[in-house]
Amino acid sequence: MRAMDIVVADKLVKTFPTTDGGEKRAVDGLSFVVGEGRIYGLLGPNGAGKTTTLRLLSGLMTPTSGTATLAGYDVATQPEQVKRVLGFLTANTGLYQRLSARELLVYFAQLHGMDRSHAEQRAMFLIQRLGIESFAGLRCGALSTGQKQRVSIARALVADPPILIMDEPTLGLDVLSNRVILEFIVRERDAGKTIILSTHYLDEAETMCDKIGLLHDGRLVAEGDLQTLREMSGEERLSNIFLKLIRADESVGVLPV
Amino acid sequence: MRFDQRIRMIYGKELVDILRDHRTLIAMIVVPIVLYPLLMLGSVQAVSYQAAAMEEEVLIVGVVNEAQRGSLLNLIEADRTALEQRRTTLDSESEEAKGLPKPIDPDKLHVEVVGSVEDIDRRVRERSIHIGVVFDRDMLVNAPDMQNHVDLRHDKEDVRSDAAERRLGEMIDRVRDQTNTERKAQARLPATFDEPFVVTATDLSSPPSILGQVLPLILVLMTITGAIYPAIDLTAGERERGTLESLMVCPIPVIDLIVGKFLVVTTVAIMGAALNLGSVTATVYFGGFSKMLASGGGRVPVGTMVFILLSLIPFAVLMSAIMIAVCSFARTFKEAQNYVTPVILAVLIPGGIAALPATRLEGVMLVMPVGNMVLLARDLLLGANVPAAAVVMVLLSTTLYAGAAVAIAASVFGRESVVFCDAASLGSMFQRRLIRPSERPSVSMVLLFVALLFPVWFFIQGALSPGAGEDASALLYAAGWLMPLLFVVAPVGVLAYWKVRVGRSLALRAPAWRYVVAAILIGLSAWAPAYEIDVLQQRLMGVPEALVQSSEAMAATLKAMPLVHVLVVIAVVPAVCEELLFRGFLLGGVGGEVGRWGGIIVSAAVFGVFHFYLFRFVVTTGLGIVMAYLCWQSRSIVPGMIVHVLHNGLGVLSVVRQDWVLRFGLSGESESSDWAHLPPATLVCGVGLFVIGLALARHRSATGVEYAMRAIAET
Repeated sequence: MRAMDIVVADKLVKTFPTTDGGEKRAVDGLSFVVGEGRIYGLLGPNGAGKTTTLRLLSGLMTPTSGTATLAGYDVATQPEQVKRVLGFLTANTGLYQRLSARELLVYFAQLHGMDRSHAEQRAMFLIQRLGIESFAGLRCGALSTGQKQRVSIARALVADPPILIMDEPTLGLDVLSNRVILEFIVRERDAGKTIILSTHYLDEAETMCDKIGLLHDGRLVAEGDLQTLREMSGEERLSNIFLKLIRADESVGVLPV
Repeated sequence: MRFDQRIRMIYGKELVDILRDHRTLIAMIVVPIVLYPLLMLGSVQAVSYQAAAMEEEVLIVGVVNEAQRGSLLNLIEADRTALEQRRTTLDSESEEAKGLPKPIDPDKLHVEVVGSVEDIDRRVRERSIHIGVVFDRDMLVNAPDMQNHVDLRHDKEDVRSDAAERRLGEMIDRVRDQTNTERKAQARLPATFDEPFVVTATDLSSPPSILGQVLPLILVLMTITGAIYPAIDLTAGERERGTLESLMVCPIPVIDLIVGKFLVVTTVAIMGAALNLGSVTATVYFGGFSKMLASGGGRVPVGTMVFILLSLIPFAVLMSAIMIAVCSFARTFKEAQNYVTPVILAVLIPGGIAALPATRLEGVMLVMPVGNMVLLARDLLLGANVPAAAVVMVLLSTTLYAGAAVAIAASVFGRESVVFCDAASLGSMFQRRLIRPSERPSVSMVLLFVALLFPVWFFIQGALSPGAGEDASALLYAAGWLMPLLFVVAPVGVLAYWKVRVGRSLALRAPAWRYVVAAILIGLSAWAPAYEIDVLQQRLMGVPEALVQSSEAMAATLKAMPLVHVLVVIAVVPAVCEELLFRGFLLGGVGGEVGRWGGIIVSAAVFGVFHFYLFRFVVTTGLGIVMAYLCWQSRSIVPGMIVHVLHNGLGVLSVVRQDWVLRFGLSGESESSDWAHLPPATLVCGVGLFVIGLALARHRSATGVEYAMRAIAET
């Protein structure tokens, strides 16, 4: 590990038992590193293992084999420490419908060990930062999708963690909300945070990510910045690069060896 | 943030969350406040309306011929005339006048000549007539030496036929009584002539007896109902709404979350029970139902209601813990509901057994989950004399079960296979090939094990205990065989299945010498403080007669057995088995999770509860604390075993070889006094050795890794 690599995944494997008694390898020997203050994008088709990878990194799931460390803490053996350096935005984030956005943020700040007044200050700060003021007093059940997503992001940031893991942060958002959130992510990166995100939107990845990992069937089929991927595939646009590399991986899979 | 602050914070949030939910409010407030009065008023109205409606209906009677029709009408007329005469002699405002039965109204009577008896029967079954009246002769006779037979042919399953039988039967009884009275008057016989016996039954039940039987059942059901919704919402609901994942990435122990949620469910269940109770009470008081509930029309004192509510609290605690544990397995609301239904039925079985009037709060019922609480509530409510020891046993065993349920919830809630239903099935939690090896057992595993073992062990002891005058040695030998199986083989099997390192988790390793010395000192001297505590307890609360008798019976048995056998079954086997279970398995599991003192206190309290007698609880728990402390400090099971074997061995010898005790002057000041204090010199020596032993163990033994680190540092 280089001094700058704050997230290190080493030969991560996650298998799930199947109903017929066998097992399915959702993540299959995944290794990558993310430098401090970078945005790392995990791209891949549905079922490629993106969400499982992010859950492994956040300590929500324990790897079947291999290791991952966040800021030097092992996700399998030091989950408490990992949770202290991590903000995690899940794909289908639910909010407590019957709490207001402000109450929710204060609660999560307290869950991270802050006392009440400190937690209220932090919630106030995030409410202003993410433009939540106008609906901070409304119950979360009454918010629009875009408003909910902003509250979710504020929740992930509540402990001001150095590492942010975001699973599909812009899924289902309109153009305006999308823009607000993407700008926010870039701003957080510029402020020194390390961000790992998964996305389906290739143009977002193209403009935002410092490094992209292309995931297929639980394996990393290509990795690098946009320029490296262009050279690898001979394609200009990320969408074309994506298709070409995935197809190449699939054709390798069926070739006799 | 401290544990209690975290719990308070989680509790506050969850309570606000659940109370803002309309469904909770409807179930908790609207249902009891609106539904109960409506149900009670409505059902009473419906019953009285139906009774009134039947009175208004035309009574259709079938007879075999015209002559018998005439006979029946004559009887009805005779009854009506007699009743009218009675009415004119009475003051119309008097109670007796109001209580006079109503004669059958000829306008609401239709007597039909049907033909044969077979035809009558067919018509009754077809329900085209209500009843058939068949006399044995066409014309009735009124002669002292002759009898008239009347057959009322009816269908008891048909409400109208049944009512017709009652009305006609009562009418004929009245005519018969009237005829009897007239005949006795004619013959100048006294009214008591044909009544050599008058039987009255006096009901001695206290006024709230009906209430005592009905209310606990309603309230038990309402408490369960109150716990269900919040338990599902706060566990499976969390998963279904997608908030569980964000919760699980917070650096907060799962046990804190579960305890906070459990307290909210308990609060809501108790609030629900209180509101239900209040609503029932108000309906009874203001709806004019006092007579229905409290016999004699007396009002049930408010104090009784408060008492019922208090007795419901431990029940609410246990039910909330069970509900939280069950719902923690569920991934969706629907799944949780599916799990909850059989649990409610399972809970109602012991509840139902306890509700049987013949069931008593004794023996195995003392430790039957749920059943013991229902029995306790019933007995307290009926004013029965419940021994304090029974109350303590019920509360302690309930606490043990509730604790195990909360621990299970904590170990299940937030598990990978529960958080992500797409990831793994629930069954995967129990498949051995998927279980990861671990160093020590989990809290839920050890608490669940002892919670299951407890009633089994209690039952075995009860089943084996000898009756008066029987030999107790069979119990001792059987316990000597069963204890290794239940206390050692069973937990080791559980550990092995769950791939827990047996040696490490049972603290099977040689201790350092100073702990052995400490254990010998404590083992030889612990009887002194233990004896003094016994004396204090005896002075404060006396010794239960049952304990005195069983101790005497046991002493007689021990004296009759070979000394070596006695030492093996009383000292060696319990020392080895109980230490492995309580100081190895239980302390390892609990202490590993909640730390030294939490582990020591829980394991010692459970050790105390397992010895059943309340009188022994303080001393047993105290010794449990000492032995657990030694085990924790030395990281070895051996010192505890040494203390245990020495303490029990000395206890046995003091009973079997009383001459030795007297020779050493160790007993009380005088031989005649059973409960005298120890001689001061003996007491000082005993307590002194005990304290020195504890002091020797005050430094904790280093682990192998720590030794290695120290060795490296020294070189």
